[in-house]
Amino acid sequence: MTRINDAIYEIISLDTLANRNKWVNRIHPLIKLLVTLFYIIITVSFNRYDIIGLLAMIIYPILLFGIADLSLKDCLKRIFLVLPILIFMGILNPFFDRTPVLYLGIQTTTGILSMITLIMKGSFCILASYILVATTKIDDICYSLSILHIPDIIITEFILIYRYLSVLLIEVNRITQAYSLRAPNQKGIHFKVWGSLTGQLLLRSMDKANLVYESMTLRGYNTNYIYLKRKIKGIDWFYGIIWVLLFILFRRYPILLIAGGIL
Amino acid sequence: MSHIHIDFENISFAYEKNIPILNNISFHASENESIGLIGANGAGKSTLLKLIVGLYLNFEGHIRVEEIPVEKGTLPKIREKIGYVFQDSDSQLFMSTVYEDIAFAPRNYGLSNEEVNKRVMHALEMTCISHLKDKPIYKLSGGEKKLVSISTILSMYPDIILMDEPSIALDPKNRRNLIHLLNSFNHLKIIASHDLDMILETCSRTILISNGRIVADGNTKDILTNKALLEENGLELPLCLQHKEI
Repeated sequence: MTRINDAIYEIISLDTLANRNKWVNRIHPLIKLLVTLFYIIITVSFNRYDIIGLLAMIIYPILLFGIADLSLKDCLKRIFLVLPILIFMGILNPFFDRTPVLYLGIQTTTGILSMITLIMKGSFCILASYILVATTKIDDICYSLSILHIPDIIITEFILIYRYLSVLLIEVNRITQAYSLRAPNQKGIHFKVWGSLTGQLLLRSMDKANLVYESMTLRGYNTNYIYLKRKIKGIDWFYGIIWVLLFILFRRYPILLIAGGIL
Repeated sequence: MSHIHIDFENISFAYEKNIPILNNISFHASENESIGLIGANGAGKSTLLKLIVGLYLNFEGHIRVEEIPVEKGTLPKIREKIGYVFQDSDSQLFMSTVYEDIAFAPRNYGLSNEEVNKRVMHALEMTCISHLKDKPIYKLSGGEKKLVSISTILSMYPDIILMDEPSIALDPKNRRNLIHLLNSFNHLKIIASHDLDMILETCSRTILISNGRIVADGNTKDILTNKALLEENGLELPLCLQHKEI
């Protein structure tokens, strides 16, 4: 039951963060989306043994977490959820790629280096995506996708799944609460009622989704979402260009090593 | 005949074959009329409202809204004229914030940003909830959701207003505000409700439905003071007319 509440709270908290009136939240969503995509492309393009070069990419999330006043703790919780998958993907590298290498004075193997960079790349991409969704409303993200000429059908599917997700979770919560109130000594839900419970959930969610759809059509919805159009201002361009230049700089030069040398 | 009107001609409807919900319903509703739709649970009140906006089209008979027949091809035109408030506000509100939800319809009708903003602010003022403008929908109480639902249709500037249990979930103060609001509309209104006291205060005409048929159609005071008629059809006198001692 707590898990469902947590999931509902997750969606609510992300919506609340995205609706704040912070400076970063006001940047044009298209620019933020493009910066995030460019960040991800640059991050994954680093050489699989270049830990120090890749480490420079952490500057973007660290700065944004500060500027946008986001909680690193909340984000780390999400990274820990994905971490086992990243570790699973990279765990075999040290066994197959055993070439010895001396990296920053430490004797290791290329397999270890590639495993570390894989985990770092995955984590950085999650951080960047989290920053995007925590500073941009879902409607604005969809608006950006429509500017990029992503087919309407895909955007509509995306936004409706997002809307129905909370509807579904709230229904699950109601059903499980009603169950637990009449089965106080049980841990979880007895397997005998799994069938009827999921059936009920499916029927209720379909009913609810149908009502939401009816409400949309009654207010002029015609398979195309109408977004609040926004002009890209000078500050938005400035924000985007600065980050793109910095990412290229991080990719081209080992910034951390150069900074270390100067210091 | 006035410009704004609804015509129901011999309407019969069933969700499942052989289980009729509405049976041979006919009535005419004209401009500035305020009609209360009453009846016991399952009488067919909500279904009747849904038929007007074409949510179900497999009915027998003819429905016309401002002389436009309700059929698949005419639905966008008809729905632009009608504001429909759902019984369950959670189904009516699907955007992230109050402002976005109220702006949904005007934006869909291609209005400019300035006009959308003007309409949203006007709708918020009419329902006295301007302070909720930027609040996320999930943080609203049941009563606030109901008022936002009403605002979502007011921003459409509809000719006709249909409301399904509008006073449900409202506290006494907000219910009173709603009554003032309904009385201030110069639209054709059809209000389906079990709140007979509200019907008494807001509607001049009442239609009583029972088992899918119109049992009475006439002056609200005549119908709502007829104890025998109401009790025969699963209702009772409005609370204000029941002289019970505490």
